[in-house]
Amino acid sequence: MSQSASNGVWIVGEQKDGQMAAVTLELLTTGRWIADSLKQQLTVVMIGNELDAMVGTLAEYGPNRIILVSGEDAKQFIPEVYSESIAALVAKTPPSVMLFPATYDGRDLAARLAAKLGVGLAADCTEVSVDDQGRFVQVRPAFGGNLMAVIHQPVARPQLATLRPHITKPVKSQTKITPVIEHANVVGLPKLFDKKVLETVREVAEESGNLDEAEVVIGVGRGLGSLENLKMVTRLAVLLDAAVGGSRGVVDAGWLPHSQQIGLTGRVISPKMYMALGISGAVQHLVGVRTAKEIVAINIDPEAPIFKVATYGIVGDLFSVLPTLIKGLESQTEGKVVPQART
Amino acid sequence: MIDRRHFFKVENCTLMLYPSRTGHHSSNGSVMRLRIVVCVKQVPDVAEIRIDEIKHTLIRSGVPSILNPFDEFAVEEALKIREKLGGEVAVISMGPLQAKETLFKCLAMGADRAILLSDPKFAGADTWATSKTLAMTIQKIGFDLVICGMKAVDGETCQVGPEMAELLGIPHVSYVKRLEINEDGKSLIAERMTEQGHQLVSCSIPCLLTATKALNVPRIPTIISQLAAKKKTIEIFTAENIGAQKEQVGLPGSRTHVLKVFTPNLRTGEGKIVRADDKDAVVQLLALLKKERITQ
Repeated sequence: MSQSASNGVWIVGEQKDGQMAAVTLELLTTGRWIADSLKQQLTVVMIGNELDAMVGTLAEYGPNRIILVSGEDAKQFIPEVYSESIAALVAKTPPSVMLFPATYDGRDLAARLAAKLGVGLAADCTEVSVDDQGRFVQVRPAFGGNLMAVIHQPVARPQLATLRPHITKPVKSQTKITPVIEHANVVGLPKLFDKKVLETVREVAEESGNLDEAEVVIGVGRGLGSLENLKMVTRLAVLLDAAVGGSRGVVDAGWLPHSQQIGLTGRVISPKMYMALGISGAVQHLVGVRTAKEIVAINIDPEAPIFKVATYGIVGDLFSVLPTLIKGLESQTEGKVVPQART
Repeated sequence: MIDRRHFFKVENCTLMLYPSRTGHHSSNGSVMRLRIVVCVKQVPDVAEIRIDEIKHTLIRSGVPSILNPFDEFAVEEALKIREKLGGEVAVISMGPLQAKETLFKCLAMGADRAILLSDPKFAGADTWATSKTLAMTIQKIGFDLVICGMKAVDGETCQVGPEMAELLGIPHVSYVKRLEINEDGKSLIAERMTEQGHQLVSCSIPCLLTATKALNVPRIPTIISQLAAKKKTIEIFTAENIGAQKEQVGLPGSRTHVLKVFTPNLRTGEGKIVRADDKDAVVQLLALLKKERITQ
């Protein structure tokens, strides 16, 4: 794809069963800013079968065009189907930049599309911008967050990037833009393959919450002492609407399910705030939380490495600090409706 | 423990729960051998990397090189499939000659064949050029099933697996937690990790899978198997061997270019650390929560 023929910034949103993922609005916000910087138009593409109800919300974030892709095969996320459908749209009006969420599905989709189009893809970016030469540049972590790489894509168009959730705060458009709404049909699975989603199961432990989606994540380490003490943490999680994850040690001890492991061989998360309770901060764990905006640490050992990366740290006994913190939060929320349990 | 109830729900699909150990038969009665290709990478042990806090660079000297942990799950799964259904496990890697060490480990675990893609022309490859090089190799040696780790712990893109699948023209299932291969070797059912939980996906073979930690516990090579592996030959492939032009691979074939690298501000010394007996310790935390609009 030549540079001159490609124009426009596209974001590819995410939804599940008609529920728009929060990251879609974050991408729109970033996309609007990149489009303005490049003096180009912003398009949002959504794939699914219950999209009409989302149009109003999407429009508030300033896209010039909304493309809704539907059809029998759009019901479930199948990366082969979704990427083929988007490639068909790209062929009609080739964009210059395409942004995807760095989610499990978003990474699959962006990778297949990049390979199909033979273009570049910067994965899991924590920042994108337009530099003083008018180039679209991407910043992404590598080596467990020890190193950041600034990347650009000199020739191939479109330029693809996946963006980590929570790196942008969704902001509605200042100027009123009435987007053009277009409809397209999903392209079916190639006859050669047979692939089906048989079942989609929500298995996030109800009391632990969703590490990838939560704005606040509480991480617990072996410093918690025992499984019994998790109850106090759960109460704190409810008050902060936080998800609960843990170090490898805690997961291996069976205090939390494997889905909640944070770190090198678990999940890499970028919440607004990460609260490390009784976590010493081994490198293997830290690489999973390094891109969190704020890191709060409570640990009895003043030498614990977690304090080196913490924005705020309390050195002391977890079991004297936690009750005070919980009490403080409870008094703040008095008279307000606080969820008693996650649904 | 695999909850097998999930798998029994699937109609018209006989799954091999108690497979024979002598290979398996395709529908026409001939013994079919699954050709399994595993892609592995030698990576620096990320846990051992230190930052030079003055020069703001990575200290890589003295950092051991290891087999990418996620690739170990991929190798183990390939070996398990071979043990159940018969077939051959070929392990391929792209890297300098030192990466042979990694391939010896895979041979010691039980892989049948190891290929190292080593050529100065491959240097500087991004995800696209890497995927292209590996896919051309896989195409050349032939395959039914391709397995790789969900990501490499150095690059952390999770993209090479799906990109290779696209280039090979096959479907893929990423982030696999559990796997059952149909006894005819023509389809599989995989449990795939998602943000919310998991998905059960059925897929025809040939296809590509990416492995998570939950998939298995990799075997540890014995001294004897390590010694035996050292006697095996690692095949070296160059760009010419896979029929790649120099502009297709390495830096010239890459679509993304690195403008610069920097070490992130690790906030060392920036954070405010207080003692728990400081009466404002919790008060300040509550203030921070308000400032970040986490609480009202």
